[in-house]
Amino acid sequence: MKHKLVIALGATIMLASACHKTEDPTPVTTDFNTMKQQVLEDFTNKVAVPGYKDLADASDNLYSSLQTLNDNPTEDNLAIARTSWKNMRTIWEQCEGFLFGPVEDNDYDPNMDTWPTDYVQMDSLLNSSNNLEVSDIQSATLSLRGYHPIEYIIFGNHGDRKAADITARQKKYMISLATDLKSTCHDLYQSWTADPVNFAKQVMTAGNGSAKYAKKQEAYLAIVESMISICEEVGEGKMKEPFDARDPQLVESPYSGNSLADFKNNLVGLRNVYIGKYKEDGLGINDLVSSKNVALDNKLQTQMTAAINSFDNITVFYEDAIINQRVQAQNTMNALNELKETLEGELKPFIIQYITD
Amino acid sequence: MKKTTVLLFIVSITTLFAMCRKAQPFSEDSYDERLSGGIATIFDETSRAFTHAISGLSDNDMHAHELGDAAFEQTYVSAPAPVNSGLGPIFNNVSCISCHHNDGKGTPTAGDVTSSLLFRISTADNNDFGGPAGMSGYGGQLQDNSVFGKQAECKVNISYSNVSYTYPDGETVTLRKPTYTMQNAYMHITGAYSLSPRLAPPVFGLGLLENIPESTILSYADENDADHDGISGRPNYVYNAETKRKELGRFGLKANTATVKTQVAGAFNQDMGITSSIVPMESCYGQAQFDGRSDDPELPDSILNAVAFYVRTLAVPARRNVTDPEVKHGKELFNQLNCSGCHKPIVQTGVDLTLPAISNQRIQPFTDLLLHDMGDGLADNYNDFLANGKEWRTAPLWGIGLFEKTNGTPYYLHDGRARTIEEAILWHGGEAEQSKTKFSQLSKADRQAVIKFIRSL
Repeated sequence: MKHKLVIALGATIMLASACHKTEDPTPVTTDFNTMKQQVLEDFTNKVAVPGYKDLADASDNLYSSLQTLNDNPTEDNLAIARTSWKNMRTIWEQCEGFLFGPVEDNDYDPNMDTWPTDYVQMDSLLNSSNNLEVSDIQSATLSLRGYHPIEYIIFGNHGDRKAADITARQKKYMISLATDLKSTCHDLYQSWTADPVNFAKQVMTAGNGSAKYAKKQEAYLAIVESMISICEEVGEGKMKEPFDARDPQLVESPYSGNSLADFKNNLVGLRNVYIGKYKEDGLGINDLVSSKNVALDNKLQTQMTAAINSFDNITVFYEDAIINQRVQAQNTMNALNELKETLEGELKPFIIQYITD
Repeated sequence: MKKTTVLLFIVSITTLFAMCRKAQPFSEDSYDERLSGGIATIFDETSRAFTHAISGLSDNDMHAHELGDAAFEQTYVSAPAPVNSGLGPIFNNVSCISCHHNDGKGTPTAGDVTSSLLFRISTADNNDFGGPAGMSGYGGQLQDNSVFGKQAECKVNISYSNVSYTYPDGETVTLRKPTYTMQNAYMHITGAYSLSPRLAPPVFGLGLLENIPESTILSYADENDADHDGISGRPNYVYNAETKRKELGRFGLKANTATVKTQVAGAFNQDMGITSSIVPMESCYGQAQFDGRSDDPELPDSILNAVAFYVRTLAVPARRNVTDPEVKHGKELFNQLNCSGCHKPIVQTGVDLTLPAISNQRIQPFTDLLLHDMGDGLADNYNDFLANGKEWRTAPLWGIGLFEKTNGTPYYLHDGRARTIEEAILWHGGEAEQSKTKFSQLSKADRQAVIKFIRSL
C-alpha cells in the first residue's frame, strides 16, 4: 500500500513536471527589485543600442550599395540597392517600437522618415541647377529628405524603375540623400552611447541619478507609452487612414510595396521591447509581469503574436488590400486595437502598481 | 397600530433631517487636486502626456478627433499633389506637429525644419479690422521658409546676451536676453517696424479654455486696478474672420484670436501657406512668391473642422506629487505672493451640451486669459488689437512641469528665452513686479518650494 502511494506520488510529480513548458531563459534572479533594474539594462543594451547600431551599419551599407549603383548602373546593382534599402527599413521599423528619447527630442525621426514625398518640389529641385550637395539636401524641407525620396528613385512605381533610367541628377540626389541619412543614423546611435546625451545611461540610471528619469517608474512608463503609441500609429493611423478613405495614395512606402512589412516590423519591434530580445536574449518586461501575473503575460504575448501573424493574411499590396481585402485589413486593425487596450488598460496599471520607485 | 406609529416616526425624522440639509457645493478639499482638467484629465507623465483624447468621447467624436490628429501630424507638400497638397509657396514649417512638438511647446529657433519660433511684423498702425497692420511686401508674419525655387521672405537671426540677476540673499542667476534681427530680406523694407516673436504653445485643453464663460473672464478684469493690488488685467477684443465680428480674444500669446477654429485656420494659412474657407488668400498674395494658382481654398472644411476639434478635445495631464509637503508649501506661497492674481488656479467652465467632457468642469488652468503689462524686459513693442507692446496674455501653467518630458529640452515664456521655470519667473515685470520681488525675498528653500509646486502642474 505504502509502495503504491510512493509510485502514485512519483507519477504525479513526473506528470506535473512534464506539463511544465520550457520557457525563454529562466531569469538568473527572481527577485523583483533586482529584475526591474536588469530589465532596464537589458532593454538598453540588448534592444535599443544594438538596434540603433544595426541601423547605423545599415545606413553605411545602403550608402555603399547606392554608390555602386551610381558607378555601375546595372539591374543587379539596382537589386542589391533595393535589398539594402529594405534591410534598413526592417531595422528602422523595429526601432520604431521604442520611439522615445533622442529620436523624438532631436527630431531624428522626421529627418529621415517623413511621408509623403513632395513630387512638385522634387521635380523642381532635380530640374534646377542646384548642386544637390549634402548641405543642399540638409537645408531642404523634410519631405525632400530621408527614406522615401530614395525609395522613389530606386523603385519607381511598385518597382518599375530600370537601372538605366535613373538620371545623373537623380543619382547625385540619391547619393546626397544617403549621406544625409547616414549622418542622421550615426548621430542617433551616438546620442544613446556617448556624451553629452548618453541616453543609455539616462535609462539605466533611472531613479538612481538619471537626469531624465527621477524614478524607475518614469522610464518604464516612457517605454510602455511608446509601445502603446506605435500600436496606435499602425492600427489607427498608417492602416486606418487609407482604409477609411479607400485611398491607395495615402499608403506609406508605396514605391517599394513595403508597407505591410513596415507595419509588421513595427509590431515586431514592440514585442522585442516587451520580451527584452532583439538578437540576444535578455530580461524583459514580460519577466516582471509573469512573476506577478502569469495570465496578463500570456494574454499580452498571445495578442502580440496574433497581431503580428495577422499581417500574413493580407496577401496583396496594402494599397490593394484597402479595396480588395478589407476584411483581412480590418481583422489586423482589430488585433492591434485589442493589444493596445491591454497595454493601456492592464500593462500600464501593472507598472504603476508594482514599480513605484 | 404600533408598527404604523414607528414607521411614521421614522419617516418624519428622516424628512426633518433631509429638510435641514441644504444643498452645498463640495468643500475645497473634497476635490481631487490632480484633476487639472476636471473630467477631461489624463494620467500620463511621459513625453506623450499632451497627446491624448479626453476619455468618454462618443464613437463619432472619437472619429473626428482621430481625423484631426492625422491631419495635425501630416506633412504638407506643394501643390498640386495627390495628398496633403498646398504647402507654401512661403511658410514657416511643414506640419502642425513640427512646431507643436508632441502637442507641446517647441524649440526657439527659426527657419529650420524643427523650429517652433515665428515672428509677426507690423508697422505701429492698425489695419481695417483693428488688428496690427502688416508691412508692405511682407504681410503680418515673416515666412522664413519657401518651397524649392521660391525665395523666403527673410531669415531671422537670434542671438542671446547674458544678463545676471542677483537675489537679495546674494545668489545669482544668469538670464539670456534675446536679440532678433532680420537677414537676407527678399526685398527692401521701407519704414519702421516691430517684430513680435511667438513660440508655438502647447495645444491641449483648449476646448476647456474656449468654454470658459466670457462673464467669468471679464469678472477677473480690473483695468484701473480698483483693488490696488498692482494687477489690472484687461480683455482683448479681436476680429473673428469666421463670424466677421469683434469678439473676446482667448488664444494666441496676446489673446489675439477668438476661437480655436480661427486659430487653426490662421496657423494653416500663415505658418504653412495653406488656404481655407476662413482665410482664403495665400499669405504671399500680391508678392513675388505668389504661385498664381486658383486652387483656393486648399484645405477642405472637413479637415479644418477636424483639426479644430482635435485640439479642442485634447485632455489635460493630471498634476503630480500633490501630497508632497514641499509642493503643498509651494502652493501656499504661490497664493501668498499673489501669483494666483493672474495665474487663476481654479476656473469653472460653462455648459456645452454637445461635449459633456468640457462642460461645467472645475479646471485648474492657472490663467485668467487676460492681458497684463509684463514690463520692459518682455516687451515686444508690438500692438495686437487692444494689446499694447508690453502686454501679454497670462500663460496657462497646466502641464508646465512636463515640458522636460514632452520637449526634450524645455523652454519657457513667449519666445522660449527662459531655460528654467526660475528664469521665467525672474523675467516677470510690470504688473507682476510685486510678486516677483516678493518671490526674490523668500529664502532659497521657499523659492525652491514655489518652483517645485509649479513643476507639479
